[in-house]
Amino acid sequence: MIRVLLADDHSIVRAGLRRIVEESGDIEVVAEASDGREAVLAVRKETPDVAVIDISMPILDGLEVITQLKSEFPEVPILVLTMHEEHQYVVRAIETGAMGYITKQSAPEQLVKAIRKVHSGSLFLTDEAAEALALRVAKGNNAQSPLDSLSTRELQVLRRLALGNTNREIASAYHISIKTVDTYRFRLLKKLNLRNNADLSRFAIQNHLIET
Amino acid sequence: MKLRSILRVLSLLAFLSACVAGYLYYSSLKEYAFQEAERNALNRLQTTKKNLTAFFSENIKPIRVLAAMQPLVDVLDKPEPKTLNAANAILDLFKKTLDVEVCYLMDLRGKTLASSNRNDPDSFVGMNFSFRPYFQDAMQGLPASYLALGTTSRKRGAYYSYPVYRKNSDTPLGIAVIKASIFFVEKELTPEETSIQLVVDPQGMIFISSRSEWLYQLMWQLKPDDIKQLRKTRQFGNGPWHWTGLRKNGNKEVLDASGKPYLFHQIAVDDYPGWKIVHLYDLKAASKLVSEPLLKIIQPVIIILCLLLGASIFFLYRQASLEIARRRTMEQALRRSEKRYRALYHHTPAMLHSIDKNGNLVSVSNYWSDALGYTRKEVIGKKLTDYLSPVSRKYAEETIIPAFFKKGFIKDIPYQFVKKNKAVIEVQLSAITDRDEQRQTFRSLAVSIDVTERNKAERALQEAKEALSSYSKDLESQVRKRTREISGILQYTPAVVYIKDADGKYTMVNSKFEELFGIRTSDVRGKTDQDFLAPDIADQFFKNDDRVLREKQSIQVQENITIDDDAHTYLSTKFPLYDGKGRVTGVCGIATDITALKKAQERLRRLSASIMTNQEKERAYLARELHDELGQVLTALRMEAVWIRNRVIKSDPTASARALTMCELIDTTIEEVRRLAIRLRPGVLDHLGLVEAIEWYTADFEKRYDISCVFEHNDGPEIRGNIATAAYRISQEALTNVARHASATRAKVTMSFDNGNLSLSIKDNGTGFEPEALGDAEGLGVANMRERANLVRGFFDVQSRPGGGTRICFTVALTES
Repeated sequence: MIRVLLADDHSIVRAGLRRIVEESGDIEVVAEASDGREAVLAVRKETPDVAVIDISMPILDGLEVITQLKSEFPEVPILVLTMHEEHQYVVRAIETGAMGYITKQSAPEQLVKAIRKVHSGSLFLTDEAAEALALRVAKGNNAQSPLDSLSTRELQVLRRLALGNTNREIASAYHISIKTVDTYRFRLLKKLNLRNNADLSRFAIQNHLIET
Repeated sequence: MKLRSILRVLSLLAFLSACVAGYLYYSSLKEYAFQEAERNALNRLQTTKKNLTAFFSENIKPIRVLAAMQPLVDVLDKPEPKTLNAANAILDLFKKTLDVEVCYLMDLRGKTLASSNRNDPDSFVGMNFSFRPYFQDAMQGLPASYLALGTTSRKRGAYYSYPVYRKNSDTPLGIAVIKASIFFVEKELTPEETSIQLVVDPQGMIFISSRSEWLYQLMWQLKPDDIKQLRKTRQFGNGPWHWTGLRKNGNKEVLDASGKPYLFHQIAVDDYPGWKIVHLYDLKAASKLVSEPLLKIIQPVIIILCLLLGASIFFLYRQASLEIARRRTMEQALRRSEKRYRALYHHTPAMLHSIDKNGNLVSVSNYWSDALGYTRKEVIGKKLTDYLSPVSRKYAEETIIPAFFKKGFIKDIPYQFVKKNKAVIEVQLSAITDRDEQRQTFRSLAVSIDVTERNKAERALQEAKEALSSYSKDLESQVRKRTREISGILQYTPAVVYIKDADGKYTMVNSKFEELFGIRTSDVRGKTDQDFLAPDIADQFFKNDDRVLREKQSIQVQENITIDDDAHTYLSTKFPLYDGKGRVTGVCGIATDITALKKAQERLRRLSASIMTNQEKERAYLARELHDELGQVLTALRMEAVWIRNRVIKSDPTASARALTMCELIDTTIEEVRRLAIRLRPGVLDHLGLVEAIEWYTADFEKRYDISCVFEHNDGPEIRGNIATAAYRISQEALTNVARHASATRAKVTMSFDNGNLSLSIKDNGTGFEPEALGDAEGLGVANMRERANLVRGFFDVQSRPGGGTRICFTVALTES
């Protein structure tokens, strides 16, 4: 059984989550916390296998809890479960030390999977979150990066092109038109002074936008 | 040109004298060489003579001894083999010991009885030499010596003979002879190359010679009789004796057949009367001997001399040429200046004339003749006074001209000239005397200025002055009226007005000023700020007024004046005052009390700040409520819906479908709530800070408007609170404007931290606008941003031009937060 801590200031949500988790059969909620401090205390007391932490919590917010747990119990994997969809949260949570990130909205579908994944020692991220993280890592690599001159959308399209996605795939991924993707592609080539998709791939690899 | 020829001649003379000196030196050397040669020749002659004498006397005694030898007497007495042998032995002995050519014995008839060369092919034995003078002399009892060419031996020799006597008898039985070879003597003759030494007989027959081809030749040409005589003596064989070709040329010189000159010396040989030793000195060789080394020395000297001479001539020639050129230039300049002077004289736009001592005109300038209407020809030689008006003439003749010649100059003499057309012109005449080298006056130079017009103008000026005077009186009254008006305004205006001079001293203050500072105009005049104002006010005034004086521009400043704890703010307009020449003479200040206005403004600002802050608070609260409370409840609902759906998916598919619909509905609602919350205030700003918030916003903006939006920032502190709110709202407002109005395809947000400042700039490549022509709606957006900036005491600026995009800047100090 995977022993889990649920930390969320909303009792209704917590109840919902507990039900989802417990229905899985192999996961057991050993502690619940309704604020950050409680969460830290609970981990100290129970040492769960996985800590599921919300970001918006009173007293200590989720990010502070992660920081504290990381220093006290580096071996306890933390899964962030939050209302926030913005990538900035994902990046910050992973940077702080979380092993996984899912939204509450997707909890019924993904929570169990995510708990198992982080328990097994892997990262759990949605595709979008993974992409956001990759872009941030690439940009943060060096102070003066040629990537600085690119917008977020341009970076996204560049990464997808480098990964070999077709214009159609990219268009459907970002809910934009194929023509717009092409416009982005053209703009990228011009901005980075490159000639074709092969050049773009090489550029992306050089700048650690994608793993080889 | 002349100077050049003189130089040439001089250089030639210099060269010639050098040559002559060289020649004289050479001849004196030659002379000396000749004297030396002569002395040498005499020395040599003496030496040769000594040698010869020594040689000749060498055998005189031995022959006596030989003749006294008994075996010789015996053989002459009894010529038989025994005695002959003894005699021969003696002869051989003598020949050997004396080292002579031959010794022999002759009988009374001259026949040779015995000889040391009896065994030689040219043996004398049996030969008769009675014809020889030495035989004849000896036979007469005289010892003889004789120089001759052997008739048998063909060898030259000196013969010594002596009679052989029997004991106690005076009659010779025969004679003994010793013949010594000349050869060795001749060998010793060899003089230096340049001379020839000869030994000649009285006839001039060359018997011994240092020049072998001359042997047995005649020195001088002989007559046939003399030659016959010579042959007869057989002294020198049978001839023929050629003439050497030598001829006398004066006392001391001889010429040979080829005309070569020789210095000639001769000296007699002792014991041989008529024989002489001759020394010939080759003059040509001698002079060559002298001249060769001399030339060797002289040549380079001459060359150097020539070079030096040439160089100095060249240098002098060049100097002279330069001098000539300089003089020519000077001459030309002189000529030009003279020409110019003349042209100046004639063309100067002034009446110039010159008179001589008698007062007659000697020259006039063109202007003079034009002015008076005469041609130059008409006036030259005439009296100057002829062209003056009667009054001026009298004045000139009686006073001015005598004074002029006495003093040498006159100045500004008023004359009246009468023109050819009888019109009168008034002039002022100034003149100086032009003196020659002896300082004698011979002409004058006078300038006359036509003052007709000037005098006219002066009169007109006088009239104008009078008119002006009356006009200025009128003006004065007007000024007085205006002054009264202005004084009224100054007195009753609610503004504080003062005037200071350029040194900062008050010259005028109005009643409001008097009232404010409790001081009277009469007391203020001449004082500076520091003299009567509180230090803070004085400094403020002085600083601002000084700036106006320095920059010469009007300024508008706020000045704070606190009197008796009653603080007032004034809006002061200060401007420089100018005099007629545009110089700043002072500064005028007009200060309006805007305290009430300022207070109202401040109240308004605070109000707006509080509204904004509250609004922001309210929004944050609402957003949080929506997102965290409503959102969470919806999430919980969704979980339930999913649970139901999963629960009945098999048992009741309809219910499951309904649950799914519910789920989707909840999703939409959550999305709606989230959007609403974010629009009110994004949680990122509060949770993660400004950088992440703008990063999120720009990415979202790009997604929504399809405008490429780049966000660049460098590392800095995490910004939260009011400044973060302001920066975020300004970016939001600016980007919203870009989306709405700019028609841009690109936008760039740059955020940087340096020196404790946060700088934010939002730039687009859109259409831009005239900053002055902002519409109300757009203007409101800008005003909003400005207000936000003001709230955190930041600096805000909009830069834009049509077609050039827009750039919005916001800078704020981070120290306070």
